[in-house]
Amino acid sequence: MDFNWSTEQQELKRAIIKFAKKDLEQDVVILDRESTFNSEGWRKCGDFGIHGLPVPEVYGGLGQDPLTTIYALENLGYVCKDNGLLFSINAHMWTCEMPILDFGTEEQKQQYLPRLCSGELIGGNAMSEPDSGSDAYSLRTTAEKKGDKYILNGNKIFVTNGPVADIIIVFATINRELGVKGITAFIVPKNFPGVSVGRKIEKMGIRTSPMAELFFENCEVPVENRLGKEGAGSALFTHAMTWERGFILASAVGAMQRQLEICIRYAKERKQFGQAIGKFQMIGTKITDMKIRLETSRALLYKVGWLRSQGKTAIMEAAMAKLHISESWVLSCQDAIQIHGGNGYTTEYEVERELRDAMGSRLYSGTSEIQRLIIAPLMGV
Amino acid sequence: MICTMKILLPFKSVPDPETSFSSKSGIPSSEASLSVVNPFDAIAIEEALRMKERGEEVETVCVTIGQENCVEQIRTALGMGVDRAILIQDHRNLDPYAVARILQAVVLRECPSLVLMGKQAIDNDLNQTGQMLAGLLGWPQATFVSGIEFTHGGGCARCTRETDEGSEVIQVTLPAVVTTDLRLNEPRYVSLPGLMRAKKKAVEKISLEDLQVKIQPRTVLVKTVSTPPRPAGIRVGSVDELIAKLKDEGKFFPSSHR
Repeated sequence: MDFNWSTEQQELKRAIIKFAKKDLEQDVVILDRESTFNSEGWRKCGDFGIHGLPVPEVYGGLGQDPLTTIYALENLGYVCKDNGLLFSINAHMWTCEMPILDFGTEEQKQQYLPRLCSGELIGGNAMSEPDSGSDAYSLRTTAEKKGDKYILNGNKIFVTNGPVADIIIVFATINRELGVKGITAFIVPKNFPGVSVGRKIEKMGIRTSPMAELFFENCEVPVENRLGKEGAGSALFTHAMTWERGFILASAVGAMQRQLEICIRYAKERKQFGQAIGKFQMIGTKITDMKIRLETSRALLYKVGWLRSQGKTAIMEAAMAKLHISESWVLSCQDAIQIHGGNGYTTEYEVERELRDAMGSRLYSGTSEIQRLIIAPLMGV
Repeated sequence: MICTMKILLPFKSVPDPETSFSSKSGIPSSEASLSVVNPFDAIAIEEALRMKERGEEVETVCVTIGQENCVEQIRTALGMGVDRAILIQDHRNLDPYAVARILQAVVLRECPSLVLMGKQAIDNDLNQTGQMLAGLLGWPQATFVSGIEFTHGGGCARCTRETDEGSEVIQVTLPAVVTTDLRLNEPRYVSLPGLMRAKKKAVEKISLEDLQVKIQPRTVLVKTVSTPPRPAGIRVGSVDELIAKLKDEGKFFPSSHR
């Protein structure tokens, strides 16, 4: 077993840290308070090459393997405190670019991937509906075929990047009676007639990642915009979700590393009862727990990355990584606040925001409960 | 500009100023600390790339002296956009004269119209190499430059120099050696696509024998010591006492100025 990163991977890491320190280390307090998407940060990530990390060079990406990609995202998360921006980047990468790459026709790849990789186009994914969340395949949005077009009708909710996206992958059913087998995916540019964006959804955390409701009303989508075959939507969704689950929290692992370093610094500097608070065992224990959570999270993340780099699907490992990292992140965020005491409860110290951001990770890409529902049967339970 | 202008961009790998490294042994270990392209040389590289992006017909060639451990800094330069690189293989810690001698040989080989380099390296702050190189070549030099503009159809460079009295504008005929100061520009960082492209660019490795240069180092680095920590301050009771202290302890009014 080799835990070393190659010289080139280390070089990539240093380049990312340098870039992020220069261009992404800005104050997030105001962006968070006003729920503002950092479009400049998005563009800079595009120029720097982040959005195209896992996409082959022929489609305008960098052609990095999954393990290298998560290492890059982890280090981006280590410097960039804007978890919302990172969430938007992840949604764009794993739920829009990757499905097009893996299921798109050559024309679709040529048409969309280069501009998605450069960040010129922002991608999103519309699956959840007001009445179908965890039970995703009970969706009601319909795609009725008429000649060489599909007519889409329905509502989608919690569309990450919804307000700012240009391209949305929409899941709809061609026939509700077919159940799962009727679900089909479409690449829908948001400027198509019949697509409208509803209210921007206010959230507890990752407030800088805009999320919206989308409405499709007699939206005509040409047949060439169908992604994959008719009825292939569920396979495509499972596939995209496996990518997403495995890797969406790579940046969270970086964030946990940063959080740990902040807590260690604080525990050494803050003095009470005549000594650094880190000298009190109760604080030391919390920091130890944070370190262990970080290392176990990282190990699970790398394992998924390694398996995917070997061409394996890693469904169970992806679910375990998603579950463990999200739960660990939330616990460590609570410890971080506790270590900082009253200071940690103020927005100024930027410790409380991390908890609000982390809470979402137990919900998106399948709740912690759903991850357990995926993992248990895979062990024959 | 009528024909392609070749710009030679010498650079040095120096310890990353953003990372701290221990100097317990008295001499900082170059292996232990991360290295970067000397920031002043990066400014020179950036300026050459901007000339190219302005539409000037420019070929950019970077050169550094070192061993395999310089490969990452070479990739940084290539990743920023430099066309090709030359690595002069030598493991020694060379003084400015030795470096200037080597660069002289490289200049004779490459025949650039302009050598653009940092005014000094941030590790030893010697500020001599560019001047010595110009002297060895018998070329005009413009040092501490914060602005460059080509004139006379590319036959001359009008350079703004930073001096103690203010800015000085001089015109040098090309070929010339120009050393860059901090305010010339702010270098770009390497983008990931740039880093990927860099891997496909040519890196030529040359030995001192190939260049037919024999170098005898004339300077030896004896040791490096950290600046002593600043002692605690004292509170003075009156203005008179303050002036007396300033005078007697001599740090503010050196004896020659008393």
